[in-house]
Amino acid sequence: MIQVAFDIGGTFTDFVLRDPATGAVEIWKVPTTPREPARAVLEGLEARFRDTALRPAEISDALHATTIATNAILERKGARAALITTAGFRDVLLIGRQKRYDTNNLHIDKPKPLVRRADVFEAPERLAPDGTVLAPLDEAAADALAAQVAAGGYDSVAVVFLHAYANPVHERLMEAALRRHMPGTSISLSSVIAPKYREYERTSTTVANAYVAPLVQAYVDSLDRSLRALGVEAELSIMQSNGGMVSADLARTWPVRLVESGPAAGVLMCAEIGKEEGCTHVMTFDMGGTTAKLGAIDDGVPAVTPSFEVDAVNYRKGSGLPLSIMAIDLLEIGAGGGSIARTGMGLIRVGPDSAGAEPGPICYGRGGTEPTITDANLILGYLNPDFFNGGAMTLRRKAAALAIAREIGAPLGLDLAQAAWGIHSVANANMERAMRIVSIERGRDPRRYALVAFGGAGPLHACRLARALEIPRVIVPRGAGVGSAIGLLAADRKVDLGMTRVMRLDEASPAQIAPIFAELEARVTAEAGRMQPGTTPTIERSASMRYAGQGFEIRVPLPAGPIAGDYVATVLADFHAAYKREYGYNDPKAPVEVSDWFAVATLPNTRAGAGFRFPGGRTGGDPVTGTRLAWFPEAGGMVPTRIVDRYALTTAHRIAGPALVEERESTTVVPPGDVLSLSAAGNLIIDIRAGG
Amino acid sequence: MAVDPITLTVVWNSFVSIADEMGEALRRTAFSEAVREGADFSTGLFDRRGRLIAQGNFTPGHLGAMPYAVKNCLDFIPPEELSPGDMLVTNDAYLGGGHFPDFFLVAPVFEGEALIGYVVNTAHHVDVGGAQPGSEAVQGVLDAFAEGIRILPVKIVRNGEFEPDLMRVLLGNVRLPEKVRGDLMAQRNANHVGTQRLRRLFADYGEALIEEAIEAILDRSEARAKELIRALPEGTYSFDDQMDDYGPGTPPIRVSVDVTLKDGTATVDFSRSSDAVPAGINSFINYTRAYASFGMRIFAGIDVPNNAGIERVIKLVTRPGSFFDPRYPAAGGGRASLQVRIFDAINGAMSQVVPDRAMGAFTHWANPKFGGVDPETGKRWILYDLILGGFGGRSNKDGAEALCPVFNCANVPVEVHETNNPVRIHTLSLIQDSSGPGRFRGGSGMRKDVEMLTEGATVVLLGDRHKSAPWGIFGGGAGEKARTVLIRGGQEADLGSKEVARLEKGDIVSFRLAGAGGYGDPSLRDRAALAEDLKDGFLSRAGIARHYGVTLD
Repeated sequence: MIQVAFDIGGTFTDFVLRDPATGAVEIWKVPTTPREPARAVLEGLEARFRDTALRPAEISDALHATTIATNAILERKGARAALITTAGFRDVLLIGRQKRYDTNNLHIDKPKPLVRRADVFEAPERLAPDGTVLAPLDEAAADALAAQVAAGGYDSVAVVFLHAYANPVHERLMEAALRRHMPGTSISLSSVIAPKYREYERTSTTVANAYVAPLVQAYVDSLDRSLRALGVEAELSIMQSNGGMVSADLARTWPVRLVESGPAAGVLMCAEIGKEEGCTHVMTFDMGGTTAKLGAIDDGVPAVTPSFEVDAVNYRKGSGLPLSIMAIDLLEIGAGGGSIARTGMGLIRVGPDSAGAEPGPICYGRGGTEPTITDANLILGYLNPDFFNGGAMTLRRKAAALAIAREIGAPLGLDLAQAAWGIHSVANANMERAMRIVSIERGRDPRRYALVAFGGAGPLHACRLARALEIPRVIVPRGAGVGSAIGLLAADRKVDLGMTRVMRLDEASPAQIAPIFAELEARVTAEAGRMQPGTTPTIERSASMRYAGQGFEIRVPLPAGPIAGDYVATVLADFHAAYKREYGYNDPKAPVEVSDWFAVATLPNTRAGAGFRFPGGRTGGDPVTGTRLAWFPEAGGMVPTRIVDRYALTTAHRIAGPALVEERESTTVVPPGDVLSLSAAGNLIIDIRAGG
Repeated sequence: MAVDPITLTVVWNSFVSIADEMGEALRRTAFSEAVREGADFSTGLFDRRGRLIAQGNFTPGHLGAMPYAVKNCLDFIPPEELSPGDMLVTNDAYLGGGHFPDFFLVAPVFEGEALIGYVVNTAHHVDVGGAQPGSEAVQGVLDAFAEGIRILPVKIVRNGEFEPDLMRVLLGNVRLPEKVRGDLMAQRNANHVGTQRLRRLFADYGEALIEEAIEAILDRSEARAKELIRALPEGTYSFDDQMDDYGPGTPPIRVSVDVTLKDGTATVDFSRSSDAVPAGINSFINYTRAYASFGMRIFAGIDVPNNAGIERVIKLVTRPGSFFDPRYPAAGGGRASLQVRIFDAINGAMSQVVPDRAMGAFTHWANPKFGGVDPETGKRWILYDLILGGFGGRSNKDGAEALCPVFNCANVPVEVHETNNPVRIHTLSLIQDSSGPGRFRGGSGMRKDVEMLTEGATVVLLGDRHKSAPWGIFGGGAGEKARTVLIRGGQEADLGSKEVARLEKGDIVSFRLAGAGGYGDPSLRDRAALAEDLKDGFLSRAGIARHYGVTLD
């Protein structure tokens, strides 16, 4: 049996095949087909079946990460959706939370809602905060409204009623009426998609679901159908934002949960690489063309967050559309290879503006005119102009040098190398601040972590970042260029659910908590059962908790097992400890309350197999293929630096920095004092300051 | 030797990010809706000499008052009397942020024995006692003695712990002691986070380098602000606006400003404005200065983060003892209503200099407090609300709908209000045809209806633009005026914008904010834009005919 994983990126669609029995891995890429993303997948597989001995029937798992939901939102290319809400509250989506993401800008605009005002309808109904019906939604009214909405010819409908997190009755009534009038139309209920209080955030999430649902559903169907047509019988599985794989069927049910599908897969890859190298505490660092994404893995488990924003302006908090769904916690900042450097007031600023992939950095020669991080890395000697992207592209050093000298060097009185170093180090400092937030500020001691770096630009900056945070070890995984696809092979099948039930813990008894988890666990077990009937999933519990009266919570894992005896006391003690870790103080005498309860069901991973064995490059021989000048201030500036061919490294080699390790997808910069080696699993290991 | 540009960039960015992280800790651990949902707070970093270095992305009124509050605290308790783990507090209107609910918590930061700077935050507390719930009543509050507890600077935290005696005095004088206590804890958390991060920054770079970086930051900020102001035509630019009144049956408050641009300095003069009034709405100098400074920052296009360097080039002139520079015991609880008007007035003056940055007047906003004792539960409650409308039309686009004006707070969700207070909210929606017409129209007014589910509640109103509509600019029309309506037994009765009213169970207070002013001649408005306005219901067919003289098919 063979597993296949595929990840559709902006430029390439990456494939990984693995034999779970031997761990043998094969990797290939085909150009992405942006208008019809499923086509590249089929062409890539078809060619494989045609050109090799692989047969469709041998495929046991088809695993997929997709950016289709994200792109539909970012490009505003989703469905024509309607929103039905409580009478009097038509404008909740338009109003939002109203704070400007930049205090000092009054020419600012809010994010454009996914449903325009003309497409919002009001239903005569009302619930109280505890779910009591104050004004019943009668069937005739629901029916009339459904007829009106049906006449609008919408592709998708979101239903969000006030306090529906406490009682879904009216949303279900409305759904039934819509089904009568609009059979086959996608309907998203807030009580299903995001049953949490705060009406704007819940509406935003439910509307986003409605907005992407038809597209995601059509895409999943077409992919599923095409795989069958090719003769692949394995069920398609898709990565959700929470880092769990779900069946195509569940992906269709919860489309908004696919928004962070791709990045989640990348973090899971890091978790898997960490496991291979015996590191269960990992900071993840994914730096691509436009942004850097930073995350953390504790005890082998990626950190997750119960909400995040999509389509933020310059990655500024509060500028995007909030989504109340569980997602792998990533801090994204505007620092990628294409981030533009400028000066002002005698300072260097890098990002968040980016030259992106088009026109891209100046050195790409595609019309870029402003210096970028990649241009600086070229000038510093870190990038090989003749071996960029495996030699597929030649970089133009002279144009990059002229621009850096002109835009950065001249205004600040720096020579070319100093100016390039300035760009590189300011970018590092931006990422260092973000990494500090993810680590120290959230109670993680970087000295206990390893840094897994991937993405085209990650390995260029990783060792400096590790040094700044005193992270002792950097790992650059084999196959870093297809990281997300690797992550899919490692991922568990997982379903999570949360619900709002505000409860004072000092007044609570186990008998009040038990039914909540009984319901949540029954639901996640049932959902998991849809993917793998007859298997009992592992259940993990957690709760969002706060001191009574606070408005924001921290999420605390709750013990498994029977909810009885001193269960409440244990939960309380865990909360006080977690609060202290987060904020430095706690208040053990203050009453504590839970707002949201969560259960996650994980199915046993039948795909773990024998790890990963990558195809070998050439073995033996000297991995040092030559030298070039590269900038290392601690070595005195531009110094001859050894170039290492990653594909020639063996576990016997230990190479002290400064060195540059070249591979097709990236270059790893090893500064003086750090020591490079290759692990048995084939990952690059850089021990920071190990060289004295 | 001058600090190199790379290091300077890194250090400066770090200062700003420390201030932002302090704010995050404060918001996430706060207890009151004002702080945790409304983001009514600010954070800042000061150097060892008490000069402002950096602030977070928070509300300008607090930000602008903070440097003076810190200085005033240190005048009472000099640095040599401070030890690690100490924090000072004041809520005095004159020394601090202009009204008693704003508490400044000032923490000295030490490295070993050496003082290296201060981390500071301000938060709006939900109640500090006084005549009415929320401590911000305008009507009937003749002086500060009716506004609750006044704390001149004292050391409230020693060795990381709150002084129990002081806390007992303080919490014994407020309506919701648990929320005040919780928010003070959150303020301490924020300073704790700031302290750790600032110490780390000093450890990484060394005191000498940081000190040098601070001088460079202040000098360059000043130079940049000067350069920007110098680029504007010199002269004096004036504008007159007004507030409705200071309670039912009182005359308008004159808000008159003269902005003088000369030699790279902006002088903002409020001398022509009204005298102090015997009501809880006077604007103390730190508050006046904060918004004068913010207005100039926007209209002069100052693109440098706020710090003491900027403060050097924007000067405030007032008439001591007048409305915009009153003296103790003048009352100032409701002064928050002024910030929008200060900004509107500066907007009007500066529109003569930078027409492309100017905009129509804001919708104004409502900041009501409801409170009482719930007879069913016996619990005392206060609902603090922020009802926020739209922006005036701008030079190249319509005014934003439903976005916080000048001060930049967030709203409080309906579901949060209803969960925590005995109220039912019946509507929260934009008002059709309320926006000021223009080539670029103003934002719409907002309607919010709040029903009392218990007897014995009081509403303390703090709104405006009931009597003078938000004006349009460069030919743009004014928005519709605001109303606040009491609906009792189906009958509507108008309330004054700053009235205090007793409510009965079943009463509905209906807030109907004004529409914002338009920008440019309405007849130049794009037909397609009008068609969209009609489709989305911002304007009706009749409204379009009335304001734009256009009949759409």
